[in-house]
Amino acid sequence: MEIKRRDFLKLFGGFSGALLLGGCGLDEVLEVPASWVNKVKNGPKIETWKNTICGLCSGGCGIQVRLIDGLPVHIKGNPNYPVNQGGMCPLGINALHHLYNPDRIQIPMKRVGNPLTGKWEPISWEDAFKIISQRLIKLRRQNITHQLVILGSGERGVMKELISRFASAYGSPNYYQFSSLPNDVVPYLLVHGQSQIPSYDFLNAKIILSFGSNFLEEGFSPIYYTKLYSHHREQQTRYIQIEPRMSLTAANADSWVPIRPGTYGALALGLAYVLIREELYNEDFVTKYTFGFEDWIDKESKKHIGFRNYVLENYYPEKVSEITGVSSELILELGRELGNTPRALVLGGGGALDNTNGTFSMMAIQSLNGLLGNYERKGGIYFIDEPPYSKLPPVIEDSIAKNGNKKEPHAKPQDISFPLTNFSIESFTKNILRDNPYPIDTLFLFRGNPLFHSINHHEFVDALKKTPFIVSFDSFINETNEYAHLILPVNTFLEDWNESSNIPSVGFSHIGIQQPVVEPLFSTRSMGDIFIDLAKQIGGTVSDSFPFENYKQVIEHKLLGVYNSGRGAIASKGVKKMWLEYLQQRGWQISRYSSYEEFWDQLLKDGGWWNPIREEKRLNEIFKTPSGKFEFYSQKLKNSLDTLLKNQKENDSTHNLESILSRLNITARGDAVYLPHHEIVPYEGEKPFYFTTFQVLPNRDGKGANLPLMQEMFGYSVRSYWRSWVEINPINAEEYGIKDGDWIWIESSINRIKVQAKVIPAIMPNVIAIPFGLGHTSYGRYAKGYGVNPNSIMHNLYDYLSGKPALDGTKVKISLAS
Amino acid sequence: MQINFLKIKPFNIFIIVLIFFIIALIFLLVFIILFQFLPVKNQKQPIAYNHKVHIETAGLQCIDCHVSVEQRAFATLPSIEICQNCHSSDPLTESEEEKKLLTYISEGKEIPWIKIYNIPDHVYFSHRRHVIRGEISCSECHGNINEMTSPVSAQFKMMSMNNCMKCHKERKVTTDCLACHR
Amino acid sequence: MSKWRMVIDLDKCTGCGSCMAACKMENNIPIVDSKEANEGGVLNWMDVITQYHGDYPNIEVDRLPKPCFQCDHPPCTKVCPVRATYLNPDGLVAQIYHRCIGCRYCMTACPYTSKVFNWYEPKWLDGPYKCFNPDVSIRMTGVVEKCSFCSHRLMKVKEDAALEDRPILDGEYEPACAEICPADAIYFGDAENKNSEVYKLSRSYRASRVMDDLGLEPKVYYLSKRS
Repeated sequence: MEIKRRDFLKLFGGFSGALLLGGCGLDEVLEVPASWVNKVKNGPKIETWKNTICGLCSGGCGIQVRLIDGLPVHIKGNPNYPVNQGGMCPLGINALHHLYNPDRIQIPMKRVGNPLTGKWEPISWEDAFKIISQRLIKLRRQNITHQLVILGSGERGVMKELISRFASAYGSPNYYQFSSLPNDVVPYLLVHGQSQIPSYDFLNAKIILSFGSNFLEEGFSPIYYTKLYSHHREQQTRYIQIEPRMSLTAANADSWVPIRPGTYGALALGLAYVLIREELYNEDFVTKYTFGFEDWIDKESKKHIGFRNYVLENYYPEKVSEITGVSSELILELGRELGNTPRALVLGGGGALDNTNGTFSMMAIQSLNGLLGNYERKGGIYFIDEPPYSKLPPVIEDSIAKNGNKKEPHAKPQDISFPLTNFSIESFTKNILRDNPYPIDTLFLFRGNPLFHSINHHEFVDALKKTPFIVSFDSFINETNEYAHLILPVNTFLEDWNESSNIPSVGFSHIGIQQPVVEPLFSTRSMGDIFIDLAKQIGGTVSDSFPFENYKQVIEHKLLGVYNSGRGAIASKGVKKMWLEYLQQRGWQISRYSSYEEFWDQLLKDGGWWNPIREEKRLNEIFKTPSGKFEFYSQKLKNSLDTLLKNQKENDSTHNLESILSRLNITARGDAVYLPHHEIVPYEGEKPFYFTTFQVLPNRDGKGANLPLMQEMFGYSVRSYWRSWVEINPINAEEYGIKDGDWIWIESSINRIKVQAKVIPAIMPNVIAIPFGLGHTSYGRYAKGYGVNPNSIMHNLYDYLSGKPALDGTKVKISLAS
Repeated sequence: MQINFLKIKPFNIFIIVLIFFIIALIFLLVFIILFQFLPVKNQKQPIAYNHKVHIETAGLQCIDCHVSVEQRAFATLPSIEICQNCHSSDPLTESEEEKKLLTYISEGKEIPWIKIYNIPDHVYFSHRRHVIRGEISCSECHGNINEMTSPVSAQFKMMSMNNCMKCHKERKVTTDCLACHR
Repeated sequence: MSKWRMVIDLDKCTGCGSCMAACKMENNIPIVDSKEANEGGVLNWMDVITQYHGDYPNIEVDRLPKPCFQCDHPPCTKVCPVRATYLNPDGLVAQIYHRCIGCRYCMTACPYTSKVFNWYEPKWLDGPYKCFNPDVSIRMTGVVEKCSFCSHRLMKVKEDAALEDRPILDGEYEPACAEICPADAIYFGDAENKNSEVYKLSRSYRASRVMDDLGLEPKVYYLSKRS
């Protein structure tokens, strides 16, 4: 027996005064599997590092994983990867707890009994595959392949292509992603005519005016923006943040402009008023490249009001001040600052979009960029190119697949709601419940947790219960997966191949290679491989459409195009200025590699490829609108409303624009409908408080809730650990007799939740904010039962046009909980 | 409230003090027993490895088997791959011990060597630092391994902080706690 | 002897908390559960402190990443009855956990509240895998611990440098927080090397130290335009 000092002390604890020393050496706590015990204890401790891409959020940061004898022990940022340049967010740093999580699904499981009460029974991969493929083959035999619906979360790039390839080879037009991205792009579609999220030249901008876009916490890639922000602090760029709650971004901005929720559009138009009135806008750009600025006459010689006159008539500062709660002096000041500073950049997002009027607000915000002529110029907005990937061989569709693909997409909004989108989580739910346009048979769910995000909880649960067969592909059992019939455990990102290219809004085209740093710990499989194997088992043309052995081969094939194009460079020397200059002289050639294999090996070693050199586009090329210009007056919106009108039956009482507009809850009439304008949010009832939510970095969209360390860090800024809190202004707190740390009830007309109050001045009076991400009823031991889910008391409201959930569309009352 | 033992008679105090002394003595004895005698207990290795034969007959150096002694903190016990470099399928000698080794090799199992020189988790010890920079020969801590015919079964120099500190003081190298404690 | 200095640029720091997370992962800091955490038992070696100044709507927020300041004249070492904490020759305030008897005198002595105490049985991720950093030992209940400037990294770097017979290079030794900071707000280096960033920044007009009048000579400088 070997006795250590602290064991000895424990033996004689009371006497030696070291009662507090508990035994806690490596031996006791390190219960790794037998094969690893020897390695950990007696191994040579060989340290290696592997580069890969973080997969915990959409940010796509390059990471370096430290392995001791092949065992991942630490993660840091990849300093050479251009997106994050060595930075990491708390969630990514903690990714190893995602890998080693005790709640991971270790083997395929089948549900026996009812959801939530039933039991999960382990089955083999062969059996699982058999169940799924038989079902899919049956659908093909019956020629109803369109009844397969695939609901993804945030896949991008090659993975998205692979899944949609599977869907079309199989014969289903129903591949959707529940994340709000398809809804977010609607306003861009209206003003730019294309649904690509533009990139912003933060680096060269002098002022960044952000309407609700909390890019340091909730942006597509918070770390990318944090790097830019830090760079800006050396350049003295001015940040102005407009939002009701002081988020991390507002706290770091030079000035914070509190605004009433749901009135972003009005403020943007108020600033437009100042720009137009004081002639501070970019006249050259506006006359040459915009449509609908001046009054105009259409083909039928009907006169239309232009943006200029519409704004001058309706959005004078005093009125805007009344709507938004921002003083008219400040509006004038902001407008002048915007107009007088060269390279002023305006961006919108977050809270500006999270309301019933989100699309119009965003159009108004983008109209400021139109007025300033911020396109394709230094410190402006531009669109980056897709990486030069090679194409996959064409999909082979047999008659069954062709027939299925011709069917109407299932989730397409059925009545006149959400005319500009093919998918909204609301229409998805409703269509399943109504069997409209057709019933669905099988639902595939990918990673992600739509039920937790849903603001229409009960109906979504009903829809899941109604679906005959649900297969979930995930690493954890979460709220949504509880309703699945079969769960296939997929690898975590540290065990899997993938690719992460062109993160939306990042300013250069790039590819990150996500490679396995460790063999799968459990009996899990790669998501891409599962699809390829599933296609092979279905056979026929579905199988022929996948001439690959595994997902890795698909990625290799795609990157062959990058190698052949000779463009860009492997991110090996980082983004140091010297190196950039050198590359620019050399013309960014990657001819240094003698073969594709060499290129591929180097790519895996360094983790990514990028190409900051962009072919400059001409301004008349970038707008894909009907007029080919930036549209103040959206012809696209006009056309889609006209189509709606045409599709209504002639005799129907709804056959007039008036009824369509009122059913879409649009209060504007005449030309104003198609112009950026402020729609009043129809808040229900007489409740005194606007209710908003936000995300924090350690949790993001609820994903971090199963990581204990991130739960502990959840509210580090307000000293609230493992639990939700509500931020309330001292003025209101005094009114209601609430002290910091008191528990209060927050009540909407739907439901109520109990939360601890944090009285802080960094929020507008009459607005309360709760962080999103906690309040899980499933998702493992560390997530279940901690905090509250603010979405559970929200009204079931959506953006009229885009179908995005209106997360800020609820008003609540509060009371002290005794 | 009054404290009781202040009222104890002098005679009782004497007895209490005596009892304390006796308890302290017992603990001291146990302490000495645990720390002085237990670690010396011999361990039986799975194979009766003969260092002398390997060094003199086969002409091996320490580093040939303990491969990372000059590169890393851990010298490492040899894996069967290293044994396999010489011991292939045919036995080189008639030794029973070699047969044991060949069984391990044919079964593809690692030899369950018992690690004798264990350092606690809270101590950092680097072989590389001591061997290369400190130019300390292996025998200073591990004894005259060259002459050893039986496997290592007990520590030659006991791995105690005293022994570390003694040497560090003699050689006038760092005695900073952080240099070894982590 | 090098004089290690940390400079934290508050104008750049966004308060994202990455330094806290990196520190916890690097130093095997135990996870504290809900009840214990809300009782004040969170073990933060690196802590981001948030403070609001002013009244709505003219509010300024301070977010202050606070490691151990590794004072040149540390008050905590003087009170330690067992010499478990002391100023080491590299100028770091060391904490030797296995010497510590848990009296918490040093916690009381530290004006910056940089030291934390292990009140509870340490907990890590449930299940067989714990992912410990093998370079840092695991502390038990009842000892005081604190930021070490990742001294285990310094020891490694020193060993490498000694074997190659060269001085430690600028940027070779960096604690986990400085390495990970996405805003590049944490600088770390040798203040006696006149070419180092730290040397220049610690002499900047923006530089200040917390409670400098105590004369403890903390090794952490803060840069801020606001004073």
